[in-house]
Amino acid sequence: MDFNLTDEQQMLKESIADFMEREVKPDRVARCYQREDGYDRGLFRTAAQSGWLGMPVPEELGGAGGSVMDCAVAFEGFGSGPLPAPVFSAGVLSPLLILHGGSNDQKRQLLPAMCKGEVIATLAVSDSGMGWGPEMVEMELADSGDGFVLSGVKQFVQDGHPANMYIVGARSREGVSLVLVERDRPGVSVRQRGELLATVAEVRFENVRMPRAALLGSPGSGWDTIESALDQALPILCASKVGACQQIFDTTVEYTRERIAFGQPIGRFQRVQDHMVELADHMDAARWITYETIWKLESGLPAKGFIHEAKAVASEGYYQVVDYAHKVWAGPGTALDHPLMAHHIASRVLYQYLGDPAYHKRRMMDALYPVEA
Amino acid sequence: MDFALDEVSPELKPFQHEMRAWVKDAMRGSEHLRWSANWSTRENDEEYTFRRGLAEKLGAKGWLFPTLLPEYGGAGLTAEYQAVIDAELSEYGLALDHIFYTLARIVVPCILYHGTEDQKREFLPPMTRGLISVWQVLTEPQSGSDVANVKTTAIRQGDEYVVNGQKIMVGHKLPPDWIWLLVCTDPGRPRHENLGWLYMPANLPGITIQHLPMLMGIKNAVFFDDVRVPAKYLVGGENNGWEVSHTHMELEHGGGGSVTGDPAVERLFEYCQQTKRAGKPPIADPHVRDILAEALIESHAVRLMNQRNYWHRLNRDPHPYGGAQLRYYQRTVRLRNAQRVQQILGYDALVPNYDVHEFADFEYLLRAGPGQLHGGGTLDTDRLIVARRMGLGRATKEKAAVTI
Repeated sequence: MDFNLTDEQQMLKESIADFMEREVKPDRVARCYQREDGYDRGLFRTAAQSGWLGMPVPEELGGAGGSVMDCAVAFEGFGSGPLPAPVFSAGVLSPLLILHGGSNDQKRQLLPAMCKGEVIATLAVSDSGMGWGPEMVEMELADSGDGFVLSGVKQFVQDGHPANMYIVGARSREGVSLVLVERDRPGVSVRQRGELLATVAEVRFENVRMPRAALLGSPGSGWDTIESALDQALPILCASKVGACQQIFDTTVEYTRERIAFGQPIGRFQRVQDHMVELADHMDAARWITYETIWKLESGLPAKGFIHEAKAVASEGYYQVVDYAHKVWAGPGTALDHPLMAHHIASRVLYQYLGDPAYHKRRMMDALYPVEA
Repeated sequence: MDFALDEVSPELKPFQHEMRAWVKDAMRGSEHLRWSANWSTRENDEEYTFRRGLAEKLGAKGWLFPTLLPEYGGAGLTAEYQAVIDAELSEYGLALDHIFYTLARIVVPCILYHGTEDQKREFLPPMTRGLISVWQVLTEPQSGSDVANVKTTAIRQGDEYVVNGQKIMVGHKLPPDWIWLLVCTDPGRPRHENLGWLYMPANLPGITIQHLPMLMGIKNAVFFDDVRVPAKYLVGGENNGWEVSHTHMELEHGGGGSVTGDPAVERLFEYCQQTKRAGKPPIADPHVRDILAEALIESHAVRLMNQRNYWHRLNRDPHPYGGAQLRYYQRTVRLRNAQRVQQILGYDALVPNYDVHEFADFEYLLRAGPGQLHGGGTLDTDRLIVARRMGLGRATKEKAAVTI
């Protein structure tokens, strides 16, 4: 038992904390989220140059060959901003999808480019807003003889605006398949959604013709690929939410010391204290369940159920931490340029992203306590 | 990060094997008493005898308080060894913290940090060897959460303190051998500067113990009528009791942590898998599964906060707000779990089952949820402590006391 980070992880943590403090000023983050695309190109370039894209990708394919724990340490830092750039979708999830589902050619062609930030890929799976799972993929993968034709709308694509490639889920009689679609293909159009969906875009596919080589893996293997990639990706996403919670906690504690009402710091009021206690409970539950899950995963222990648990708890935790922070910050915390607003938006969107807590709790139970048929 | 309890460094391997074999041997024939060496207010004779016997066996090896020096009844081992002992015991649902029927776990560190050398050598070994049962006796009718508001007086007369007053809601069904008593040593002095702690035999003339039947079992009122206590039993000095309280409270308020799981939720899952309702196990019911998912997640969070605090304590780096946080969270979880049990079991949740230890008896959970919200201070004092430790509205953060 040892809850310390390794020396290397501690150095990584500190260097990212420095970067976040120096470069990712709260007002810069807030502006990004207000600009409707939730995206800072300069910061994304810096992340690419620093080797923070494709961290879990093996070194021979352009990545850092980092463990899930290494990535989690980094993403706890990125989440604290949150860093307004698609570092998770394009830097973790998409590379893992290629690693798990791609041919050797696809890996060699795409992964180094993803690690450099040249290919910015994101997963486009659910057609509609509710639910997550293979059954939510309705778009048809129509055979056109020499390839496929895609038609339909992916309404909610995380980081759909900065992306230049979509990993699209589509359905054929074999099941769900994943297709790599470049954004500049004829028939692809992207609409920014803005407001609470600042980091989400609607991506429309109209008779988009794709060659067979664009398929990731075999027909019908798409959901298995997603599941395999998510086993590593979800804990990393959870760590970014933990970092967000910690940042909110730290700044809100400071606020209870500085903000004077009725002649004293508001942190002296027990009702304000109560909000902070609940906030910390959600934060620490998310933190320790996330990190224990990562430890299980990397120790070769059964981890599937706990990965789902971590996703449920971290998503719920982030959402609740933001809500408790709102109770403390009151009016100022709802100004669109307030640091809390970026977290507000991220907590709402990431609650849905890759499955909501209700979905993951059910999957947790199914993994740990399967129902006998 | 490494959460493993059973993975130890190569130099600890032989000790781990020794301990594993030792615990297995000590539990032979008593496996059905899994959990029963834990804290209890509804004990039966078999449990009680087993528990005291196990404590004596551990104590004889110096393993009840393994990091203490041998002259204090310990084994002079490092914290890593204590972690091994706790981890092996946790396989049987046991923990050093509550291994036998006493609050020595709290009293020993108080004497260790605040007692004189003579007191340590005299008072510690009977506790650390598991030979005696100790009650902590703090609460008074007018002072529950406001624990410093002590009216029980201990006034020095020559070589003795004369104790008068009443304590309430303390102890359990069987009488103590010794008492750890919070008293007012000078009623004329200001609050917090008028307290003292007596560590004294429970059989001194003038002490009367009266059972109080309560929702979660037997507690007691203790009356002190001109009890003459030799002055050598005062620990930490006259009017210095509040200092001693910091050590006491940190442990009582969860700062000790633990590496043992929650038997209640474990057993709830077993029940839902093994019983049948309308031909199907409850765990096949989607509604029941949703309730179980919440119980499972929260019990994991409690277990991890416990493990975190344990690790911090053993590293002598107490978590800033983790002790009171754990206590607050754990007790709110138990309250919710009590209702969850009833949501799943229905009327069956209201039927006591004395064949299982109370920690795993569903009816007891329904009692303990609301019944144990207050022990050692209310939820509100927990939150107050958390707030001070976080430094809310304060220039400085209150520090947690070191407890090992």
